[in-house]
Amino acid sequence: MTARGAAAELADELGSPEWGGFEPGRVRGNGFADTWRSFVTAARLGWAMEANWTDPVLFFIYSVAKPVSSALILVVMLDIITGGNRPEYKGFVVVGTALWSFVVAGIAGLAWSVLDDRERYRMLKYVYVSPSDFLVVLLGRGVARVLVGGAGALITIAVGIVFLGVTFDPLAVDWPSLAVALLAGLGAIVAVAILLAAIILQTRQDSWSYPEALAGALFLVSGAVFPLTVLPGPLQAVGLLTPMTWWIEGVRDALFPGGLSAVGGEGSLWLALTGSARPDQLTTLVALLATGTLVTLAATAVFRASEGRAKDRGLLDQTTGS
Amino acid sequence: MAAFVYRPTASPQEAANWSPRQVLETDLRTIGGRAYPRVTGMMREKSWLFFEILLPFLATSAFVFVYRALEAPPEYIGFVVLGGAMTAFWLNVIWMMASQLYWEKSQGNLELYFAAPMSITMVLFGMALGGIVMSSTRAVVVLIVATTVFGVTFSVEQWGLLIAVFVLTLAALYGFGMVLASLFLMWGREAFHMTQLFTEPVYFVSGLNFPVARLGFVGALAIGTIPLAVGLDAMRQLAFAGVEFPVGTPPPEVEVLILVAMTVVFLAIARWTLAVLERMARREGRLSVRWQ
Repeated sequence: MTARGAAAELADELGSPEWGGFEPGRVRGNGFADTWRSFVTAARLGWAMEANWTDPVLFFIYSVAKPVSSALILVVMLDIITGGNRPEYKGFVVVGTALWSFVVAGIAGLAWSVLDDRERYRMLKYVYVSPSDFLVVLLGRGVARVLVGGAGALITIAVGIVFLGVTFDPLAVDWPSLAVALLAGLGAIVAVAILLAAIILQTRQDSWSYPEALAGALFLVSGAVFPLTVLPGPLQAVGLLTPMTWWIEGVRDALFPGGLSAVGGEGSLWLALTGSARPDQLTTLVALLATGTLVTLAATAVFRASEGRAKDRGLLDQTTGS
Repeated sequence: MAAFVYRPTASPQEAANWSPRQVLETDLRTIGGRAYPRVTGMMREKSWLFFEILLPFLATSAFVFVYRALEAPPEYIGFVVLGGAMTAFWLNVIWMMASQLYWEKSQGNLELYFAAPMSITMVLFGMALGGIVMSSTRAVVVLIVATTVFGVTFSVEQWGLLIAVFVLTLAALYGFGMVLASLFLMWGREAFHMTQLFTEPVYFVSGLNFPVARLGFVGALAIGTIPLAVGLDAMRQLAFAGVEFPVGTPPPEVEVLILVAMTVVFLAIARWTLAVLERMARREGRLSVRWQ
């Protein structure tokens, strides 16, 4: 077929139906296939933006330096105070720090996508008016950071086992529980990320620091590196309502069954409320699913409201200086 | 301003030959003009109160609770609070000094900076001054609130030396920021990622939450090269006089000299790298290249 012939055929396809009216099927698209294509395209774009700025060696160093350093800070703090007399605490902080780097990466991925596209590349308005669902595009853009965060977390745990003396027995691991906890936790992290992306749609360029700030606040109440018992009662309650707390507890309990619990223990709110010393694995997973579902519902509602407000007020193509 | 009043000249070369007064006034206006948005921005954007003070305070609190969980001596909690306050300056240096020219490039402002009849060094100096004011508010709030909430007690015997260390730490830090800013002038997206890379690893080697002496050789190296490390260590020794921490770092008087040397060296390097890299960036056409 000649180029002219192809163009004529395309024009025929794009033109009005013979009867001259509006054909809803043409704007409906291909349903899931279109959504998947948007997601994959956004994920590939995100990966290219995330990874092709340097050579693989520097990218690897960049990916692991942050979580490993965070773990080292805590391990040194631990060694100074305990003199190496509490090895179980070492595993506790290494796993908590590793998982937390995943949380930060997951939250930052979506939030920074909004800022990247609006402030830096100024493409947000074009992405928004494209036929793709905006939320699906954002989720796709966040995949790269989640992958990098996941790799960083794995390597941090490996460094902990190989170099920092964390004792680990693969045969003792509760693999099914670990898989469920990881999957449900990923969902909860994405939900929190959507919530922050909704906030950032309303704020200015300086919001680059918001993901870390929010993660820092959640870090306090999630029992990532210390048991919740040291927190005042109201903060322990906030921690019990946060899916990250249950996620970290679930993963930790699956990796080191019977190890230190961040939720339970003497003087904990958990003990006061339930009478049990620590939650069992099933309770932990149920709590993770319940809190994760609540956060997901809230995040979706807030995102849609934020999207509407951004559209009303012209925030989608507004760039700000600093 | 009188210095800029039109004066008839015989040639463009003569017109471009500014008097020292014109240069000085331009430099001061440049510094004021670049510091202004940072100071004013604090008043105009209220969300920073929440995101840049409350949330970082909570992050600092997390490390306090780690020490509490370990039943550490109270001085360690005070040290975490001090480190939490100082992170405000480090974050400001890497995000809003080092990366700033990269942001300006992305926004299309950088070529305007270079086209204007002003010194880019003064632009960076203005950024630093505005940044210091901006970060000081955050640092002071974190310090006061955390000290009150966690009942931290400082034991200072040499106030003069402590203040000198603080001022010199800021001078060295922002001098370091100016060096990084000139390096980032050459970079594209690498700049953003390198900024990320300069956060936690620097916190670790600087001994943000523990005495850097514990790190041995790595700590000594940090004391010799990173202003945050040497400044924090000197402040720790001065703010908690008489407390037994792991030993091995120089006394504060020596660390003051290190900070003075760092300030001079970093400012000299910044001036040199800025000139060299600006020339290189012009030659390679990188000043106006965006989004790479």
